[in-house]
Amino acid sequence: MQINERIVPQGTILDVVGDLTYANRGAFKAAVEKAKNAGCRHLIVNLEKVRFVDSAGLGLLVLISQNLKLIQAQLSVLKPQLYVREIMSLANIPKMIPIYESEEAVLTARAA
Amino acid sequence: MNSNVTQPIERRADSSTESEEAAPTVLLVEDETITRTSMAARLRRLGHRVLEAENGLVALDVARRERPDLYIVDWMMPEMDGPTFCETVRRDPLLKSSQLLLMTAHDQPAQIAEGLARGADDFLSKSASKQEIVARVLAGLRTSRLVRELETTGNELESSLLLLQKKQAETEADLQSAAAFVRSLLPPQGSLVQGIALAWEYQPSLMLGGDLFGVMAIDADYLGLYILDASGHGVAAALRSASLMTFLRAENMLRLLGSYDPEKVLHEANRCFPLSAEGEYFTLWVGQLHMPTRCLSYASAGHSGALVSSAQSSSRWLTRSSSPLGFDPSAQFACERIDLQPGDRLFLLSDGIYEVPSPNGELWGRERFQDVIDRGKRTSLSATIAACFSQARSWQQTQYFQDDAAIVGLELTGDPKGSSNG
Repeated sequence: MQINERIVPQGTILDVVGDLTYANRGAFKAAVEKAKNAGCRHLIVNLEKVRFVDSAGLGLLVLISQNLKLIQAQLSVLKPQLYVREIMSLANIPKMIPIYESEEAVLTARAA
Repeated sequence: MNSNVTQPIERRADSSTESEEAAPTVLLVEDETITRTSMAARLRRLGHRVLEAENGLVALDVARRERPDLYIVDWMMPEMDGPTFCETVRRDPLLKSSQLLLMTAHDQPAQIAEGLARGADDFLSKSASKQEIVARVLAGLRTSRLVRELETTGNELESSLLLLQKKQAETEADLQSAAAFVRSLLPPQGSLVQGIALAWEYQPSLMLGGDLFGVMAIDADYLGLYILDASGHGVAAALRSASLMTFLRAENMLRLLGSYDPEKVLHEANRCFPLSAEGEYFTLWVGQLHMPTRCLSYASAGHSGALVSSAQSSSRWLTRSSSPLGFDPSAQFACERIDLQPGDRLFLLSDGIYEVPSPNGELWGRERFQDVIDRGKRTSLSATIAACFSQARSWQQTQYFQDDAAIVGLELTGDPKGSSNG
């Protein structure tokens, strides 16, 4: 798993490459923690290049979303692949975490 | 004991404390008394403890008893010459790492090569200067000390490895015991109640699995069934699953809720099993089959794994979007109903059975799984389940699953007891 961090005007984008699974949770948590500690108020996880998210990965996304809300910050997910989107939908994730199809859409929605 | 072996130990006045490092021991093997005595005196003046032997055979006895730090061995000796002594030392498991300094009056290249080939570490000419003797002895002792340290470290590593292996064996025995206990909680296969057959196959990814299931009679008319999936893997997930499994026992639900109503069961489970601080949670599918009418009511908390296969039509998933346990304290888990027919099969399964990647990363997927179920209608329930496992293994080209894999199959084989009620 590779995670690249990009700072954009309205938040921080984490471009994730690889599977978001139990085995990779440590690296993902560390990247999120780094962004949080840098004062990020809107964390955008780009799943465009993530082929698979397992139950542990989903739990991590929900936990991060809940923790960010506690500090008046927000988690968004960007461009999940079809299978990942199905998994997320089955677990009602879109009701908890906004999912966007483009960086422009997520930034526009946040600004609004 | 040979009378020619002397073990003079020269202690310095300030060397009586145990904490002080002992003087290095040098074994001097030389048949010429004058040469031996002269060299021994010189070494003692350098602060070394010196043992003396007149030939190789005597020296071997001394060496095995005293484990000297350095040997200075004359080439030419009666009984056993220097090179033969070196070879013997190298073959001896106790002595083989000793530092051997071969002493000769001739320092021809061919002789040096032979000495090195037969086990010597270095050479010392009998005509060497005092400075050279000191330098070679100190170099030999330095190497000896390093070798001893390596040996000690190696021994410590070996001890640690043995200890670790012992602990690992104990842990594995504990895990096997725990796995056997968890497996004993799973329902017995075969004819569950009159008119309903049960078969299942379960392959945890590790010794202890986090995906568990249960099928149990609630009372004379109702059958309760569930399958749960703990996020994550390993012992922690398995322990959490065992805890939820205990919670889902029929007597506990009847005591808490008065029934095994799936909606109520999930609501109560959602209250009792919140998302952990590490993001751990469960997905859970719960069903209740009214056996007289074959009406199945069911609800799911984020679990995708229930499928009905009927003789007359294609199989269909009993799935809808819902929050896993603990994601949302206010979540509602709507109950749905389906009327089953004789011959219908209900499968509960963990996602680990179809979320298996091929070597190039493509997942086997729900559609391929469903296809095996549909093609297995004319084979026995257990054979259909076995075919699913077989094809999943074939797809991933390995016997072992990355996640827990479970399939539970129920088949309505005929008229259920009390069908007159329905």
